[in-house]
Amino acid sequence: MLKVENIDVYYGKVQALYDVCFEVGENEIVSIIGSNGAGKSTLMKTIMGVNKPAKGTIEFNGEQIGSVKTNLIVGKRLVYIPEGREVFPKMSVKDNLVMGAYSRKYSSAEMNRKLEEMFEIYPRLKERQSQLAGSMSGGEQQMLAIARGLMSEPKMVMYDEPSLGLSPLIVDEMFETIVKVKQTMKIPVVIVEQNAFMAMSISDRTYILENGHMKGSGASKELMDSPEIKKAYLGG
Amino acid sequence: MAQTVLQLIIGGLAMGFIYALVSIEYTIIWNASGLLNFSHERLILLGAYLFGAQFVVRNGISNPIAVVLMLICTFFIGVLISYVLMRPLRNLPLVFSVTGTIMLGRIITEGVRLIWGNNPIPLVGWLEGTIKAGELVINRTYIIIIIVAAVLVAALQIFLNKTKVGTAMRCVSQNKKAAAFMGIDVDRSSAITMGISAVICGIIGILIIPLFQLKGDMTGMIGIKGFAAGVVGGFGYIPGGIVGGILIGVLESLSTLVVPGIYKDIVSFILLIVFLLVRPSGILGHKA
Repeated sequence: MLKVENIDVYYGKVQALYDVCFEVGENEIVSIIGSNGAGKSTLMKTIMGVNKPAKGTIEFNGEQIGSVKTNLIVGKRLVYIPEGREVFPKMSVKDNLVMGAYSRKYSSAEMNRKLEEMFEIYPRLKERQSQLAGSMSGGEQQMLAIARGLMSEPKMVMYDEPSLGLSPLIVDEMFETIVKVKQTMKIPVVIVEQNAFMAMSISDRTYILENGHMKGSGASKELMDSPEIKKAYLGG
Repeated sequence: MAQTVLQLIIGGLAMGFIYALVSIEYTIIWNASGLLNFSHERLILLGAYLFGAQFVVRNGISNPIAVVLMLICTFFIGVLISYVLMRPLRNLPLVFSVTGTIMLGRIITEGVRLIWGNNPIPLVGWLEGTIKAGELVINRTYIIIIIVAAVLVAALQIFLNKTKVGTAMRCVSQNKKAAAFMGIDVDRSSAITMGISAVICGIIGILIIPLFQLKGDMTGMIGIKGFAAGVVGGFGYIPGGIVGGILIGVLESLSTLVVPGIYKDIVSFILLIVFLLVRPSGILGHKA
C-alpha cells in the first residue's frame, strides 16, 4: 500500500532522515517507535508532502507521491491524524467533522450517515457536537481529530502520537478504538509513538527510528521479547 | 442643534463603516496568513484610480461596468500579490513581510503617479448629491457608503460561514497545518483571501472618491484608523472591527462639536492608546 524507499530529508542544511526505507502492506498495523527527535514526525510529514525528500521515492497505492502537494495526497485518500490533535478550535465538533470530508463530495445523506458512523465509534462526540472544539479536553480533542480523519473514508490512515499528553486510562481506550476502527474499516494503519509498549502491543510489525536512521524492523511480538529493545524502549 | 448632531452622526457612521471595512480587510489577511498588509491604503488608491482615472475618464466606460471591471482587476491583483509577495515571505520573520508590503505600497503609489499623473482627477456626479428628509439634509454619499458597507459586511459573513470556499478560508485561518491535512489547498485559499481583501480595498476606494477626490493622498489616514478600529473593537475578530470602526467614526465626527475640526484625527489615536493601556483585548474582549 505504501512504499518509502531510500529517502533523505533536510530542514535547511540539517539532515533529518538518512536513507530511510519503510513499507506498509494491505491490512496490517505498523508502528514506528523512537525517542523524541528521532525523525518520526518528519517521516510522516514527508509522506504527506509537507517536506520534500531530497532523494528517494514514496509510492502510495501504486502512485508516486514524493513531489505531490499535501492537499492532493489527501485527495488520494491517505489520511494523517496529526500530532497534537490540531483541531479547528473555533469551530463546532460537527463542523470539524464535516471539514474532515472536505476532499470528498458527499451528498447530505452520505454526510449524515458518515457522521452517525463516527458518533457510533465515539458517542462522546455526539453529545458534544455543537460545542466548540477548542473547549474540549485533550482526550476528546484526540477523538475528534481521529474521527475527523476517518470522515473521508481513507484507504490508509497514519496516527502521529495519538497518546501524547493523555491520561493512562484514556490511552488504553484510544488504542482499543484504533484497533476496532481498523478491524471494521479493513485498511492498513501506521502508528507513530513514543509509547513503544502500547504501539508494539497492538501492531503486527514495528520499525525503530533513531537519529534519522532506520535501526531495524520486525514482527512486533518478536521485537518485544528482544532484550535490547526491552532495555532501550520498554523500560526494562 | 439636534439636526447638526444627527448629521454628524450619519457622517460619522459612514466614516465608521469605512474604518470597519479597512479593519475587516486587515483581519482576514491577518487570520489567513499571519501577515500584516501595510500596502492596503495603496490598494484603495489603486482601486479608485483604476475605476475613475482609467475606466471612466480615459476609456469612457459607463460607471456600473467600470465598477465591475475594477472589481475583477483588483481581485487578480490581490491573487498576484499573494503568490509573488505573501507566499515567499510567509515563513520568514514578520519584519520581512512588513517591509515587503510597505515597499509594494511605494511601488503602487509611484506607479499611480506615473500612469495617471499628479493632479486631482475630477469625477463629476459620482455618488454625489443630497437627500432631504424633512428639515434634515444628508449627503447622499454617506447613505450610499452605509448601505454598501453593511451589505458587504453581511455578504462576507455569509460567504465565510456558508460556502465551501469560505469555510476552507476559516479553517486555514484557525489552523493552517490541519487545513492542509483536510485536503484544502492552503496556497490557493490564501490567494483567494488576498483577492477578496483587494476587492474590499477597491470598493472602499470608489466609495471615498466623493469625500476626498481622486488624488494621490486621498486615502489620508484611513489605513491607520482602520487598524485602530481593530484594536479598539478586538483585533483578529471581524465583529470587533465593525464595532471599533463605527465607534471611532461617530466619536470623531461628534468631536467637532467641542474641538476645532482640524483636531478630529486625534480621536482615533487617543482611543487606540487608551485601549492599548486599559483594555488591550478590545471592546468585545475577544482573545485572538
